[in-house]
Amino acid sequence: MRRVVPYRLLVALLAAAAVASFHPEVSPPAGAAAPYAGITVNLVTFTGPQIAEPLQRRAPDFQKLTGARINVITVPFSDLYEKILTDFATRTNSYDAIVFDPQWMGDFASAGYLEDLTNRVKADKELRWDDILPYFRNFSATYNGRVYTIPLDGDVQMVYYRSDLLERDHLAPPATWDDYLAIAKRYNGQDLNGDGKPDYGSCIAMKRSAQSYWMFWSVAAPFLQSRGTSEGSFFDTRTMTPLVRNEAFRAALDVYKELTRYGPPDQLNLDVGDTRGLFTAGRCALSLDWGDIGTLAIDRTTSKVIDKVGAVVTPGTRRVLDRATGKLVPCTAHTCPYATHGVNHAPFAAFGGWSCAINHAAKPRVKDAAFAFCAYMSAPAQSNVDVTLGKTGFNPYRRSQFTNLSLWLKAGFSEKAAKSYLGAIEASLRSPNMVLDLRIPQNAYYEGVVLDTALAEFLAGQLTAEQTMKQIEDGWNKKTDELGRAKMLASYRASLNITR
Amino acid sequence: MPAHPRGPSLAGTGLELPSPLARLRRETSALLDRLAPTAFLGPAVLIVLLFSLFPLVLSLYISLVQLQFVPGGFHLSVVGLRNYLTLLVGSDRQEFLGALARPSPAGWAVLAGELALLLLWLGRAAQARVGPRGLLGRGAVAVLLGAAGWLLVHTLAPGGRPGSLVVTLVYVGAGVSVQYLLGLGLALLCAQSLPGRRFFRVVFLLPMMITPVGVAYLFRMLTDTSKGPFYPLWKLLGLSNFSWVNDPWGARIAVLIGDTWQWTPFIFIVLLAALESLPQEPVEAAVVDGASGWQVFRSITLPGILPVSSTVILIRMIEAFKIVDLPNVLTSGGPGTATESLTLHAYVIWRALDIGGSAAIAYLLLLVVTILAVAYVQLVHRRALEAAS
Amino acid sequence: MTDLRPRKRRGPGHVLARGASYVALSAWAFLVLFPLYWLLVTSLKEPIDVYSGPFYVPFVDFHPTLSAWRYIFVDLRNDTLRPYANTVVVALTSTGITLLLGATAAYGLARFSYRPRLGGVLMFLAAVVVALVAGSLDVPWPAAVAGATGLFLLGRASAGRRIPVALGNDDIAFWMISQRILPPVAVVIPVYVLFQRLHLLDTRTALVATYVATNLPLVVWLMRDYFRSLPVELEECAAVDGASRYRIFWSIVLPSSLPGLVATFLFALVFAWNEYLFALFLTSARAQTLPLTIAAQNATRGPQWWYMSVLILIMIVPVIAMAIVLERYIARGLLVGAVKG
Repeated sequence: MRRVVPYRLLVALLAAAAVASFHPEVSPPAGAAAPYAGITVNLVTFTGPQIAEPLQRRAPDFQKLTGARINVITVPFSDLYEKILTDFATRTNSYDAIVFDPQWMGDFASAGYLEDLTNRVKADKELRWDDILPYFRNFSATYNGRVYTIPLDGDVQMVYYRSDLLERDHLAPPATWDDYLAIAKRYNGQDLNGDGKPDYGSCIAMKRSAQSYWMFWSVAAPFLQSRGTSEGSFFDTRTMTPLVRNEAFRAALDVYKELTRYGPPDQLNLDVGDTRGLFTAGRCALSLDWGDIGTLAIDRTTSKVIDKVGAVVTPGTRRVLDRATGKLVPCTAHTCPYATHGVNHAPFAAFGGWSCAINHAAKPRVKDAAFAFCAYMSAPAQSNVDVTLGKTGFNPYRRSQFTNLSLWLKAGFSEKAAKSYLGAIEASLRSPNMVLDLRIPQNAYYEGVVLDTALAEFLAGQLTAEQTMKQIEDGWNKKTDELGRAKMLASYRASLNITR
Repeated sequence: MPAHPRGPSLAGTGLELPSPLARLRRETSALLDRLAPTAFLGPAVLIVLLFSLFPLVLSLYISLVQLQFVPGGFHLSVVGLRNYLTLLVGSDRQEFLGALARPSPAGWAVLAGELALLLLWLGRAAQARVGPRGLLGRGAVAVLLGAAGWLLVHTLAPGGRPGSLVVTLVYVGAGVSVQYLLGLGLALLCAQSLPGRRFFRVVFLLPMMITPVGVAYLFRMLTDTSKGPFYPLWKLLGLSNFSWVNDPWGARIAVLIGDTWQWTPFIFIVLLAALESLPQEPVEAAVVDGASGWQVFRSITLPGILPVSSTVILIRMIEAFKIVDLPNVLTSGGPGTATESLTLHAYVIWRALDIGGSAAIAYLLLLVVTILAVAYVQLVHRRALEAAS
Repeated sequence: MTDLRPRKRRGPGHVLARGASYVALSAWAFLVLFPLYWLLVTSLKEPIDVYSGPFYVPFVDFHPTLSAWRYIFVDLRNDTLRPYANTVVVALTSTGITLLLGATAAYGLARFSYRPRLGGVLMFLAAVVVALVAGSLDVPWPAAVAGATGLFLLGRASAGRRIPVALGNDDIAFWMISQRILPPVAVVIPVYVLFQRLHLLDTRTALVATYVATNLPLVVWLMRDYFRSLPVELEECAAVDGASRYRIFWSIVLPSSLPGLVATFLFALVFAWNEYLFALFLTSARAQTLPLTIAAQNATRGPQWWYMSVLILIMIVPVIAMAIVLERYIARGLLVGAVKG
C-alpha cells in the first residue's frame, strides 16, 4: 500500500520560505530642508514599554524635524549588555547609538567603544546641560573626566510607605534602618488592604540575579559612606581593599537578614516586579525601590493604594564606619558632615539612570544625527513631560522637573502625593553624600556574581555572616588581582572623580 | 531468466537497445548506486562537521584565556588551565563541586554498595577477557562512576552542600527516570484502541511545544505561593507561611516537576510511534495462546521497544544535562545556589564577562557527559539492540 | 480493515481496566491543560488582578479585559507579527531540510556499512583547521580552501595507512549525537563570529543553517532506530526487481516509516520553533523570532505576566494545529499488507 509522501508540499514550503527570506532594502524618503535627511540611526535598548516606548513615540517627530530615521531595536533586558558588547567587540557595529545603563561604562568606555561627548553637550543649547542635576552631570555621565552619555532618566532608590497607615497611627516615616524595622514589625501580619488576608510589613526584592543586590547596598551604604560621593562605598580609595570585612558591613547584613522576617514567606524569590505588585495591591506597609512605585501607585489599572503612598529618602544610620579601625563609630560633625538630625543618609543611585551613548565607530554624520536625537530626548521640552508618565520608565533628573508641579498633577498625582514623591527624589539627588554605583571594569562580576551569590547564600542560610563577608572579600580580591590591582585602583578613583 | 540487477531484462523481447545511450544509462545508474552510501550520509556529516568544528576549537581556546578590556578593544590573555583549576580546587570549588561533609550511615552504605558493584563488574570483564582496550575503558568508567558516587554521598550528607555538578546529576538521574516511566505508561495507555484517544494524544503533546523560557515563566506563575492558583490549597494545608523557595529540596523538586511536565511528551511520542509500529501478529498469537496482558508486555512489547527506549533515554539524558531555563527563572538557582545547574552556573559567570570560566564549565560538562554517553552506549544501548533482534 | 483480533468476552475486569485507563489519562490531561488555562486567564487580567491573588474564572472572580491582547496585536503590531512570521519561516524551512538530510543519513547508517579510516578523518579535520586558521590570518578564502583540499587529498592515503584504525557506523552516529552535549552558551559567541565573517548576521538564513546543523543529530538518531526496525525483505524485494537505492528509499522506506517520520518532524520543528540563545545572538532587528519577545517581557519592571501569557499562547497555536493534522499519521495500520504477499 503506497502512501503519498507530501513531496509537493515540502517543495512548496521551501519555495515559500526562499521567497519570504528575500526582502529588498527600502530606501528612506528624502526629507525637505532637513539636516539629516537620508540618515538612519540604529539605536538599541531593551524591550519596553519602559524606556523603549518614549524613544519609539518621539522618533517620528524627530524625523519630521530633522529627516533622520531612528530605528529603535529592542532586545531582552537580561541580555542587552552582552548584545551590545558582542556587537562592539567583534566590530560588527550594527548599533550606532545605545540607551544603556551608565554603570556599563566601566567596560565600554575603558575599551574606547563610546564617543566622547564633552564638547557636544557644552555646545548644544537646547539640551540645557546645566539644568541636569550635578550628580548626573559630574558622576553618572562622566568617566575619567570626560562626558560619554546624555542622561534620560534619574535612578535613585528610596523608601515608600503607606501614608494612610502611618498617619492613622501617628508615626513618622522611617529615618533610620532601626525605625524601618520597627515599623515593619508593627504592621507585619495585619490586614492592610481590607481583603481579609494578612499582609506584610516590608516587601523588598531579594531574588538572586534580579537586581536585589542593589537593595542590599541601599541598606549598607549609609553605614559605609559618610563623607561625600567621592569617598566611595565599595573599596578603600588608597589600597583597593574591599570594605566588606568590618562592623559596618556586618550590621548591614544583620539588618538585611532581619528584613526577611517581616515580609512575604517567599521574599527570597521575589523580584522587583513582584514587590511593586504587592505594594500597589496594598499588601505591604513599606518597600524599598527606585522611582517606579510612585508612578505605578497612581495608575488605576495597577494600584489599590491611589493617594495612600508616601516616599522618603532611604533610611540612614546613627553609626558609621571608621575606615581606619573597621569599627562603627557614632555620628558626629566630623564623622558625618552631611548628617541631617544626627542621621547619616547615603541615597544610592543604583544602576545609574538610563542614558544615551554613541558608538565611537559609527559614521560621522550618523553620530551627529544620533547625538541630535539623544539631545532631543533629553531636552526639557520633551523630557519634562516624559518623566511624569509612568509608562515611560523615566524618572526625574533635571532641576526644572521638580519645580513645575502642574505637569505631575496633570499626570494624575494628587498634590500631596506629588510633593512627597518629588520631595524624596529631590532630597536624595541633592544629597552631597549620594552613593555612586560601582563602575570599574567588569563590575558585573563584582556585583552580579560575587556579591549577589554570597547574599543569596547568606539569606538562604547556607553561609553565616562571617563566611559571607569572607567570600565577598576573597571573590573581589581575586578579580582585582587578576585584572591588575594598580589598574583597578586607578579606575576606581577615576570613576569617583578623585584627582590627586 | 536471471534478473538483471539494474533494471528489467529486455533480452528476448525484441526491444533490446544495445545502443551506447542504454549503456550509458546503465553505467550511470550503476555509478550512482555505488555512490549511494556517500550520497546518503555525506551531506549531513559535512554540515554538522563544518558547523561544529570552528565553534568547538574556538571555545576550547576561550576556556584557556581570560578576557580584559583595554583601550582600543579587548584582550584575551592565555592563562592555561587556571579556569579549570579554579572550578575544581580553587575559589569556585564549592559552587561547582559542593561543600563536603561526613556522610551519614546510609551514605556509607550506598557508597560501599556502589564500589562493590563496580569491582564485581570489572572482575567479570577481566574474566571474560575483553582485552586491554576494553579493560581500560571500563576502568575509566568505573573510576568516574566511583568518583561521582563519592561526591554525591559526601555533598548530599547532612551538613554538606551539593554544587552545580551534583545538582545537575540529580536532575538528570531523577528527571529522566520519572519521565521515562511516565512516558511509557502514557504511551501504553494511548496505544490501546480507546475511543477518544486521539484527543489525549494531541493534548499530551502540548507541554513540549511551549518554548522552554515560556514553560519556566509559566511554572514561576503556577508555583507562586501568594498569587499562584494553588494558594487556596496551601492555605488549606496550613502552609501559607511556608514557601518552597526557602527549602533547597523543595526548590529542586519544583524544578524537577517543571522539567517532567515539559519533557514527558518527548518520550511519550517516541515510544508511541514505536508501539504503533510494532507488528501485531506476535501479540495476536500470544493472546490466542492465552497470555495475560503483563506477559505480553514483558516478552513481546518491551523487547520490541527496547532499542527505541534506549535511544530516547540517551537523547533525553544528553539534553537534560543542559537544563538552564527552569532553575534560572524559578529561583535564579536559589535558594542560594541550591538549584543551580551546570549550564546556569556557566551562564551566570558568562554574563559577567568571565567567558573563560564559562567555557571551562562547558568543557568539563562535555567531558563528563561524553564518558557517560560512551559508557551508556557500550553497556546499555548495545545490549538493548541485541536483546531486540 | 477488518479487526482480526479474536473476540474475548468483555468481563467486568475489562471494564474496570478501561475505566482505570480513562482516569489515568484524564488526570494527566488535566495536569497538562490546567497550566494552559491559567495562561489564558492571566492574559485576560489587568496587572492589579494578577498581583492581588489568584482569580480563576472571568466574570465571576474578576473583570476580564482584552488590554493585553490589544497591546500585543495593535500597539505592537509589527513587533509581534514580524517575529511570528520569522519563527514560522525559519522553523518550517529548517525542519524540512533537517528531515530530508537527516532521514537519508539515518538510512545510510542503518543499511550501509561505513568504515572510514581514522587517519583519513584526522587528515580531513587537520585540513579544515588549517583552512580556518589561514582564513583568520587573512589569507584569501579560495587559496585557503584550495590549499587545505590539496593537503587532504595528498595526505589522506598515507595517513590512512599509518593509522590502521577504522571507524564504524556506530562511531559516526555517536560523534553526531555528541555534538548536542555542549551547552549553547559555550559556542554562541564563536557561532556569532562565524556568521559575522560570512556577513549573515540578522538573517533568517543564519538561523536556518544553525538549526539544521544542531538538529541533524537528533533526526539521524531517531530515524535510524525506525529504519532498523523495518524488515529488510521489503527493500531486498525491490532491489531484486531492479529499483535503485534512491528509488527504494523514496518510494518504499519513507512511506513505511511514516509514524517515525512524523514524530521526528514534530520534534525537529519544536526544537527549531522554540530555540532561544542562538536566535538572541544571531538576530538583531529583522530576523527576531518569538521566543525573544517572550523573554523580553521580563524587563526592569519584572515579568509582565499578562503580555507573556498572550505571547506564549499565540506561539503554540500553529504547532498544535500541525500536531493535530499530523497526529493521524502516527497510527497503526499502515503496514498491514505491506510485508505479506
